[in-house]
Amino acid sequence: MIYREAGDFKTSYSADQQTFPIGFDRWTVRVVVIFAFLVVPFLINDYWEKSILLPFLIWSLAALGLNILTGYCGQLSLGTGGFMAVGAYACYKLTTMFPEVNILFVVLLAGVVTALVGILFGLPSLRIKGFYLAVATLAAQFFLVWLFNKVPWFYNYSASGQINMPEREVLGFIVSGANAEPWATYLFTLLFVLVFAVIARNLTRGRLGRSWMAIRDMDIAAEIIGVPPLQAKLSAFAISSFYIGLAGALFFGVYLGAVEPTEAFGIDKSFLVLFMIIIGGLGSIAGSFIGAAFMVLLPVLFKNIMVGDFGWPTDTVQHFIFMLVGGLIMFFLIVEPHGLAQLWRITKEKLRLWPFPH
Amino acid sequence: MDQAAASEDILLDLRNISLSFGGVKALIDISFDIRRGEVRAIIGPNGAGKSSMLNVINGFYHPQEGEVWFDGKLRGPMKPHQIARQGIARTFQNIALFRGMSTLDNLMTGRITHMHENMFWQAIWKGRAEKEELAHRERVEHIIDFLEIQSIRKTPVGKLPYGLQKRVELGRALAAESKLLLLDEPMAGMNLEEKEDMCRFVLDVHDQFGTTIALIEHDMGVVMDIADRVVVLDYGRKIGDGYPDEVRSNKDVIDAYLGVAHD
Repeated sequence: MIYREAGDFKTSYSADQQTFPIGFDRWTVRVVVIFAFLVVPFLINDYWEKSILLPFLIWSLAALGLNILTGYCGQLSLGTGGFMAVGAYACYKLTTMFPEVNILFVVLLAGVVTALVGILFGLPSLRIKGFYLAVATLAAQFFLVWLFNKVPWFYNYSASGQINMPEREVLGFIVSGANAEPWATYLFTLLFVLVFAVIARNLTRGRLGRSWMAIRDMDIAAEIIGVPPLQAKLSAFAISSFYIGLAGALFFGVYLGAVEPTEAFGIDKSFLVLFMIIIGGLGSIAGSFIGAAFMVLLPVLFKNIMVGDFGWPTDTVQHFIFMLVGGLIMFFLIVEPHGLAQLWRITKEKLRLWPFPH
Repeated sequence: MDQAAASEDILLDLRNISLSFGGVKALIDISFDIRRGEVRAIIGPNGAGKSSMLNVINGFYHPQEGEVWFDGKLRGPMKPHQIARQGIARTFQNIALFRGMSTLDNLMTGRITHMHENMFWQAIWKGRAEKEELAHRERVEHIIDFLEIQSIRKTPVGKLPYGLQKRVELGRALAAESKLLLLDEPMAGMNLEEKEDMCRFVLDVHDQFGTTIALIEHDMGVVMDIADRVVVLDYGRKIGDGYPDEVRSNKDVIDAYLGVAHD
């Protein structure tokens, strides 16, 4: 009954094109953001940080990045893992070369480096489309991981071939390394995710977003009405890679602390992020978050119920979760091929009319 | 009208255009012009090269021979999106809307050649990007009013019926506020009422905005009624050019449409 547009009149075009046109949505989002910033840091513990909140936030950021490229611009990419590795290694190299630079800027710079690499691997997209482009980006995935394994300069000639994140501070609070408090790493990540989610929304609602979607929906018509394909595609690759680079830097720097490229940034990660945006909803900001929640949080939830409440053996539960999550993916794709975000949109339409649908 | 004044008046001048795909000659040595502010129809039987002609005009095809003069300047090698920026907009024979986007977004995309704020301002949104967006929204809303499509403003175009999709596509081309508007069979597949509506819109566009229009159409009644001058193509050659009445009585044109006995 509260979910209504009635009475919420839009009297200007700027009010008409706001992100959350329904009052109830606006308030929910405000409450959630305030809760996330002001309440969660006091409640958070190591388990919530490492198993739930950080992975959810970081994968959301990666999904957001891939959604810009695949969901909005229609360029299929399987290089996400490789680009995350670029972000991670850029973060590592920059922070070990310039230890005095604030980690905030290092993470942003890691994003910029990844954006440049993304543009480079995006160049084939000007010639090839669809599955063929996916294969070309697959080459990026394998090449980049191979590069970080083979060239010792990237891992500072360490004997193990791993990279380890040194301790870094923001405003005097440690946010990386073993001594970081859960609330500090959480807030640091949350800040990035929130700011860049807002930026993603702004970019996709304006000229740039429309030129991406025009290329996605009909590239020839887009070019004829004046969208420069080179600019549109490469900007999508750059911005998408920037987000994925940020996610990679946070994944390594704040979340894991030490990585080995083959394991942390393998092809399975590329598929994971792709599944997130397919299930969450292509071409939807909210869908990126929903998809990340689905793929990251659901297994944790099942595990807690089955191991914690039912007391089943861990390995059985592990396999059972694979089957269950796989089944759910298929279920939701059959129910709504356009993803959970679309399902949510339809639910909203129905809620507006409830309880008098006719 | 003397010769000098006439050339001032000409918006688009095509000189000796020849276009071929491998061995297939699509257009053979075609010349005609489009005057400012007129409705110019291009007609001809199927496969005559009408759509190829439009594709040459908006730069999607590059003719092997011939010159395109637009707005008094000879066109060099250019990409279609650059030509769109010079002021040529078009609609397509098979609807080429952006199906995943709403009507409003489709029209806003039509204004893309007029929007310039860079990525940085767009990321911040508040301020310059929003101001630009709202200014263009205002223009687009005029077109929405003009075409009477207020009620489908936020509907994804993929869900609209065919007639409305055609109208939205016209709107997208209008949003560009171009000097020359190319319409490729705007009334194909419509019933009589929809055709009449569309004719009204085309004429109103012409009257209200003074846009120069080149259109391809098969319905002879429509063409003869709304066109100022007509050019007729057949098998890639120009077989007629002039005012509707002249074309109607041209023997070659009648032969091309009705067929002649081969003996």
